[in-house]
Amino acid sequence: MLRKVLPFLLLVPGSCSSSGPEADLQYIKQARSLGAEWALVNEQAAQGRLTQTYVDSMHEWLRDQLQTSAQSLTQPNSPYGAEIRALLAGADNADPAELRSHTDKLKQIEDHLESA
Amino acid sequence: MNPLELTLGIMTAVGGFVDISELVFAAKAGSQFGYALIWVFVLSTVGIVVFSEMSGRVAIAARQPVFNLMRHRLGLKLGLVVLAASIVSNLITCAAELGGVALILNYLTGAPYALMAILMTVVLIVSIWVLPFEWIERVYGLLGLFMIVFAVALVAIHPPWDKIAGGFVPHVPHGLSSKELLTFGYFVVAIVSAVMFPYEVYFYSSGGIEEGWKPKDMLTNRITAILGMGLGSLLAIAILSNSAQLFGPANVDPEIPGSAALQAAIPFGKWGLIIALLGMFFAVAGAAVETCLANAYSIAQFFGWSWGRHKQPWEAPRFTLTWIALFAAALAIVLTGVDVMMLVEFAILFSILVLPFTYLPLLLLAGDKQYMGQYANGRLAKGLGWFYFALITLAAVAALPLFIMTSGGNG
Repeated sequence: MLRKVLPFLLLVPGSCSSSGPEADLQYIKQARSLGAEWALVNEQAAQGRLTQTYVDSMHEWLRDQLQTSAQSLTQPNSPYGAEIRALLAGADNADPAELRSHTDKLKQIEDHLESA
Repeated sequence: MNPLELTLGIMTAVGGFVDISELVFAAKAGSQFGYALIWVFVLSTVGIVVFSEMSGRVAIAARQPVFNLMRHRLGLKLGLVVLAASIVSNLITCAAELGGVALILNYLTGAPYALMAILMTVVLIVSIWVLPFEWIERVYGLLGLFMIVFAVALVAIHPPWDKIAGGFVPHVPHGLSSKELLTFGYFVVAIVSAVMFPYEVYFYSSGGIEEGWKPKDMLTNRITAILGMGLGSLLAIAILSNSAQLFGPANVDPEIPGSAALQAAIPFGKWGLIIALLGMFFAVAGAAVETCLANAYSIAQFFGWSWGRHKQPWEAPRFTLTWIALFAAALAIVLTGVDVMMLVEFAILFSILVLPFTYLPLLLLAGDKQYMGQYANGRLAKGLGWFYFALITLAAVAALPLFIMTSGGNG
């Protein structure tokens, strides 16, 4: 019950801006941040600064949250939807530069929407 | 004064300041607004010091914890409304902490999240049952001090100290769009709420009674409130500053609690990561204990039941059953699979709405010479008390509209 009610309540604020890129902005931001976190984790892991258990757990949670952001989009077939799908399609140990190329594009879209 | 006497303040502060909501909010505040929100932590810290000291003083002089006062000052009906709101707020917060502990264990061991939540609920229940109150404080408060690694990490990454110093001066950053200004406003309200969580004073004042504070402990109370909360604030500011330096430029607005641990891993490697995770584990577990006990204290005190961990569990059966049931309820919430971050958002929102009702009766009673005698609020305590009451009332009024307009701070 709670699982059903709480997300609904949280969606109330989001629902104020109906659908479209404006409504998707918060998920674009989330996805951009999650992708950037993923890149940071992989970068630090490559330098041997993290335990493998932590890296595996972070990958699992980041992917899970990213999936949620992707599913929340009102326009999944959009340029930002494609970038988020590209992030999700990457391997857990994807190259940080590759991950950042997607988050940079998401950041550009985000900045454009915010300035509009 | 025995330094171990400070552990009540340390546990209250470490569990109150650097709980799961702070780990995320301080980190997000730093990544989104740089050092510009440090002053809000400082402002709120003075507020929680003022009210903690006041609640400890009332516990000593009037020998009454906060919820006794609430019932007497607000009357039964309004008191019940506040009690119900507090129970919801504390329960959601407790669930968020429990989920947070399970997450941190998942980062440390890789064991399944749900299993860790169940295991930790059992461990926390057993630890409260078995350990005397002083040892509950010491275990969670002192081991939570591993969190100091975040302050050491800040020194190690050589941040721009002049900019950090500038963050202590109240200001709103220039050049924010109206949308960003609203988000900034939401963060101000959320930080005030997270720092001044009502459960902290419930726990602190009841803890003073648990420890049998007497008038000779007035100084201990004052020092404990100032040093304990000051330390908690310092750690939260360190997390914010690390985030401004490491996460902001990398476009990371930490979305999951585990990200904060990276702040120690970047300068110190694996050991930094492990110490940070252990500190987070004990601090968040301490917060889970605090929120659960604070809730049980409130209920028992409101209905006049026998309460306290200075008694054997079977000597205060309704109190004991209450805190066990509250842990079970918090676990049930976690096991629904609801996102921990969502729980954190709700905990913050509910808490800010309860804050004015928590602090008004305390303020009135602490200023009442009939109850307090020579320990009644002086000019400074009275002035600061009313200033912060006005501030939290304003924050409570603004909280819901800001939450809606900013989609919970997500822009």
